[in-house]
Amino acid sequence: MPITSGTTRRAALSVLVAAALSLTACSGGDGTSSSGGGKALVIDTSFNLKTVDPGRMYEQTGLLIDRALYDTLLGFKGSDVSKPVPALAESYELSKDGKKLTLKLRQDAVFSDGSPVTADDVVFSLDRVRALKGNPSFLLEGVKVEKTDDKTITLVSDKPNPSLPFILPNPALGILNSKVVKANGGAAGPADKAEKYLNGQSAGSGPYMLESFNVATQVVLKANPKYWGATKPVYKRVVLRNVQSQTQKLNVQRGDSQIAVDLTADQAQGIGGDKQIVKGASANVFFLLTNRNPSVSKITSNPRFAEAVRKGVDYAGLLELAGEGSVQAAGIVPSMINGSLPAAQAPKRDVAGAKAALAAGGITNPRVKLEFPSDFTLNGLSFQPLAERIQANLKEVGITVDLAPAPIATALESYRDGKEEMGLWWWGPDYPDASNYLAFLPGGLVGERAGWKKGADKALEDAGAKAAATSGDDRFTQYHQIQEQLNARGPIVPLMQPSLRLVTAGSLTGLAVNPVWNFEIAALGSK
Amino acid sequence: MKSHPPSDARTLKGRRPPGARWWSRHPLMRFLTRRLAVSVLLAVGVTLVTFILTNMVPGDPATANLGQQALGNPAIVQQFRKEHGLDKPLPVQYATYMGDLVRGDLGESQQSHRPVADDLREFVPATFELAGTALLVSLLVGVAFGVIAALRRDRLVDQFLRVTSLAGVSVPTFWLALLAFYLFFYKFELAPGSGRLSPALAPPPHTTGLYTVDAAIAGQWDVFASAVGHLMLPALVLAAYTIGLLTRFTRSAVLEVLGQDYVRAARAKGLPGRTVLLRYTLRAALVPVITVAGLAFGSLLSGTVLVEAIYAWPGIGEYAYKSATNLDLPAVMGVGLVVGVIYVVVNLVVDMLYGVIDPRVRHT
Repeated sequence: MPITSGTTRRAALSVLVAAALSLTACSGGDGTSSSGGGKALVIDTSFNLKTVDPGRMYEQTGLLIDRALYDTLLGFKGSDVSKPVPALAESYELSKDGKKLTLKLRQDAVFSDGSPVTADDVVFSLDRVRALKGNPSFLLEGVKVEKTDDKTITLVSDKPNPSLPFILPNPALGILNSKVVKANGGAAGPADKAEKYLNGQSAGSGPYMLESFNVATQVVLKANPKYWGATKPVYKRVVLRNVQSQTQKLNVQRGDSQIAVDLTADQAQGIGGDKQIVKGASANVFFLLTNRNPSVSKITSNPRFAEAVRKGVDYAGLLELAGEGSVQAAGIVPSMINGSLPAAQAPKRDVAGAKAALAAGGITNPRVKLEFPSDFTLNGLSFQPLAERIQANLKEVGITVDLAPAPIATALESYRDGKEEMGLWWWGPDYPDASNYLAFLPGGLVGERAGWKKGADKALEDAGAKAAATSGDDRFTQYHQIQEQLNARGPIVPLMQPSLRLVTAGSLTGLAVNPVWNFEIAALGSK
Repeated sequence: MKSHPPSDARTLKGRRPPGARWWSRHPLMRFLTRRLAVSVLLAVGVTLVTFILTNMVPGDPATANLGQQALGNPAIVQQFRKEHGLDKPLPVQYATYMGDLVRGDLGESQQSHRPVADDLREFVPATFELAGTALLVSLLVGVAFGVIAALRRDRLVDQFLRVTSLAGVSVPTFWLALLAFYLFFYKFELAPGSGRLSPALAPPPHTTGLYTVDAAIAGQWDVFASAVGHLMLPALVLAAYTIGLLTRFTRSAVLEVLGQDYVRAARAKGLPGRTVLLRYTLRAALVPVITVAGLAFGSLLSGTVLVEAIYAWPGIGEYAYKSATNLDLPAVMGVGLVVGVIYVVVNLVVDMLYGVIDPRVRHT
């Protein structure tokens, strides 16, 4: 047939040429190891990022980035969060009543433009965080910042605040170059318009400066040539890319990136060769909430119900689901924070005890609704399989659990309003101090959400108030006792801390996991 | 008062009077004007439906966007509501939004803390570059495969292309994206990594937002090569479904036309095979193919959500997903508006192409 002979061949040839061109175009590799005359580091993470303006930032990726851009008054050394160490402040002293924290500023610290870090910069930066009424402003609630002299800053709290030295290392409390920020619309008040500027360039004294910022794709940092610290950053350029976990795994395996932050236990399995896997328990704590408000539930408001749930959960089974590296939460304070309960004191499964608790409470054939977020993962863990496992555990005890998954925006509202009969949630530390967990006491943030109103347990509330006002190591014993009481009669059932794992190139050094900012970019080096 | 030109200006001695807007009488312009007017109404409808649906979702934007501790402080929650206009009644919120929209202000995203227009200016070109390339590849390859399959009906090539096209429409895009990334990036090291560019390179100066075009304009050929390299694999993955679809439709359309009397007559006259194929067969067969291509563009847009996730491609898919899950109303409205406008424009282009390809459409 005349149509088919030459024309078909030409059409076929066109397709082949197009395919060949496509493959040729695809074959280019990525040169990620060096750029701009210095070493570059590529970090893949699934972005949880809105801004890098310290006064407004309070998301996980923002904390990681701001830790590299802005120095804080105090810090932590690597993974050790048991004791704050000097940073911009060379020393600190807490008054006996725990209300006045005096900090002596270093005199050799400079911002990236070479100007010195002054007491005025400190006052402006901390006042701004509080005045903006953003996510991190609660960190300095009730705290007044004063400049005593050019070298001395005092932070005066309206009530005893021995946890303040543990709060100050939070990257949201990074110190800004006040002159630069004010010149670009900054103010320690609601009129502040500096966010746009600070998302374009940093104004800090940290080891890195912001080169570019994109909330959806990547953030690029460059080494601060005027960094005042003794240890200069090894990598001249750091690229943080927004990448899903499946892709992170392949990128780090091929060497396209040097760190994969969000791999699940399953994804990390089988990664070998020259890659390193840094793993341990996350500081996040999964917990069950049983509502004590009788108007929300006649069943869960009975304290014996919480006891039955606590004894009915198979903690070992949950750890199996969570994967290697996860640990049972003995109390609500996670294991790496001073004041956490020893593992030996963790609740154990006791099905007979759980049934006895139900019987003692006069609860027969209880049926409850368990709410949890369905579209959210924490340390790579979905809530659905955990909820299903809990449902199966409690069925053995005689409790029927109806699962009620919902998008996190919807589920959060019900949780926040204290309307959940039973909920599966988590808590991550705002700062690594046991006082952060007083929120679980009656009248506290989470206590209220569990329908546990102020005055519901006077002894426990008094113990909490006493611990919050106690300085020194004595307070850790008090937090132990508080958690023992919470485990005995509280509406919250701590479950476990999921595992946290970072997969890195074999040559990477200096990686230390921190419960607040994940890890320190500036401490990274290579063999 | 200025007088209007006669109703049919071109009939006056066969000449166009100076200054008369003769073009406004052209059927195509009348068609375009009508379609544009309808499009504006559609866009308003899109904003209204998106606004109502987003507000019907149980959930509070303040809860979705503020941290746990901030939520415990009523003053912070109140400030958030005030900043984003959430303290006003819904009809007032909608009226305010529409008033701002007329001035080109799409509001500020609660997620990115930036104007939604800025976000869209950045994310829409990325999706357009990906989906546009996928559509181009689909049209070139799908039509070529369809023609080859029709001309080689029931032969080995036809059987192979039919199976291939069936696989293209059957394989889930998400799975194919993962598999292709694993094979071509990790296993064979043929394709570059995720994203739009190598992390070692800075994006080209913004002109169109399409990295390939902007890099070429700026003469940054290393950036251009990287942008093309990063684009090809996700575009081919995205195109797989559309190629399969177009192959099947083109094949059946060409087979139908090949059986027509006028094609037989053309062959009988001894016209060259190329002329018969291109001018007699393919042109007639293209009408249903264009209809399918227009519909396929919609599936390309929805497919980008999945492909963007695997290839870390910063397009509107990822932006829309995050905005929806965080009840970021201005961003959801902005995405809805843009997608609505894209659909309207694609339909308009398809209608115009009918006229270009088939003279009968022009005369009706």
